[in-house]
Amino acid sequence: MIEVQALTKRYGDKVAVDELTFTVKPGQVTGFLGPNGAGKSTTMRMILGLDRPAAGQALVTGRPYREHAAPLTAVGALLEAKSIHKGRTARSHLTSLAQTHGISRARVDEVLGLAGLESVADRRAGGFSLGMGQRLGIAAALLGDPAVIILDEPVNGLDPDGVLWVRNLLHGLAAEGRTVLVSSHLMSEMAVTAENLIIIGRGKLLADTSIDDLIARVGVGTVTVRSPRAAELRDVLTAHGATVTSVEPSTLQVTDLPVEEIGELALGREIVLYELTPRRASLEQAYMELTREAVEYR
Amino acid sequence: MTTTTKLTFPRLVRSELTKQLSLRSTWIVMGVTILLAVGLSGVIANGYKGALRRGDMVASIPDAIASAFLPIDFVILILGVFGVLQITGEYSTGLIRATLTAVPRRLPVLAAKALVQIAITLPVMLVIAFGSFFLSQAVLGSYGASLGDAGVFRAVLGAAAAPILMGLLGLGIGTVLRHSAGAITTLVAILFVLPVLIAPALPERIADDVAKLTPTVTGQAMYTLGGGTESFVMLSAAASAGVLVGWAALFLLGGATLLKVRDA
Repeated sequence: MIEVQALTKRYGDKVAVDELTFTVKPGQVTGFLGPNGAGKSTTMRMILGLDRPAAGQALVTGRPYREHAAPLTAVGALLEAKSIHKGRTARSHLTSLAQTHGISRARVDEVLGLAGLESVADRRAGGFSLGMGQRLGIAAALLGDPAVIILDEPVNGLDPDGVLWVRNLLHGLAAEGRTVLVSSHLMSEMAVTAENLIIIGRGKLLADTSIDDLIARVGVGTVTVRSPRAAELRDVLTAHGATVTSVEPSTLQVTDLPVEEIGELALGREIVLYELTPRRASLEQAYMELTREAVEYR
Repeated sequence: MTTTTKLTFPRLVRSELTKQLSLRSTWIVMGVTILLAVGLSGVIANGYKGALRRGDMVASIPDAIASAFLPIDFVILILGVFGVLQITGEYSTGLIRATLTAVPRRLPVLAAKALVQIAITLPVMLVIAFGSFFLSQAVLGSYGASLGDAGVFRAVLGAAAAPILMGLLGLGIGTVLRHSAGAITTLVAILFVLPVLIAPALPERIADDVAKLTPTVTGQAMYTLGGGTESFVMLSAAASAGVLVGWAALFLLGGATLLKVRDA
């Protein structure tokens, strides 16, 4: 569980994070979304005690991060890829982190295996690709078998295999009852990874919602109706308040009328339907709608 | 696991030691420094011996010690830079974020780095100090000094200790400045530019007194005999050691304060 309470960060007179309040619950993947510069990384760094908030606080499993006796078992974090000395091997890098907490070498081998890095474990990290760097960062985050996992843009630089791996890994970690907070600026990735979304823009909370609710909030878009008696149906629907457009003679695009009512009306007139398809507003559209105001042009 | 998984200071020191020893550059730098410092002391002693034989110089114990430890004048720079890089290397790669996430209270990280700095450089400097001394005095033969001569053992220990303190000074500067290039430039300025600037920049009556307090001169006072020249008298070795410890402590404390309050 992560509790962010009125967290605020200023750089000079610019407010990067503005009284942000939200809770990240265990047992599900929570996506942390926002345009570039929205304050996602800064918020994550404040949760981890790396940046000092101007006001407010963040609690991890009930207390500030720095008060944990075994921080690596409280939170596993990936903040930036390739935060490793170029001359050090993946194994030495993980070993040095593990040693701070007396975590065994066996666990180091285990996370190397989990991240698919066995074959390069003893190569110096200078030659690692961005994707390998991400995998190493995720391996480091898992070292302490933490209850809370915080990953900043973990799929950046990963190939499709890697993206799928991260997605499955996060689902697995959440299913084990862990708290998983993962940031991204891509709605499409979060749509298939997260169950819950925290969306921020310009440091302010825009939405704290489940994916389903977000779609519902933006509302149903259009309904595609195909019928041999389309022209007749069109008049009926229009009479009931719908806005109807048509690209082909037999196909109608209907808005402003629920799909159920379209079906009932067609049945009432005994008009046969070949197709009745609600086209939901895409998450992408919903997200764009929410963040349009907050996108920062720099 | 037989022991509890949690953060302790001894474990942190172990981790910092792993960081340094797992870098090939650590071994290369320390190995090359030993070879160069000891080797050069032999070459310098040989030159001094030639001068004695030609009668250009008169044999003295301070000169015999000077021939052994002249290379320490640049060993202080190597260890200082090593100290700088121990922390700035973490900032340049972003590793510092991982380190401070593992150790959110931060200050123990700097303490562990200082201990590891000593743990690595102490054996290296003992090899260099005793190696240089014995090689150069063997080259000098009958002109050479022995460990039992007055002040000689102190000078050998001083030759070992001064560069270690410079390493800690470097660690402090690196922690304050966080950037490798800036910190190394600052270190070079303090070690080599500052002593040269003092005489022209300050009034004559205080210039010498100030110069005695610079890290470079206090370091030299620790590994020379005779305390300078007729016109310029250094502080005693013990007082100089105290001042140099003060310099290292000043930068480490400054670095510790900034490490604690700054965003990482």
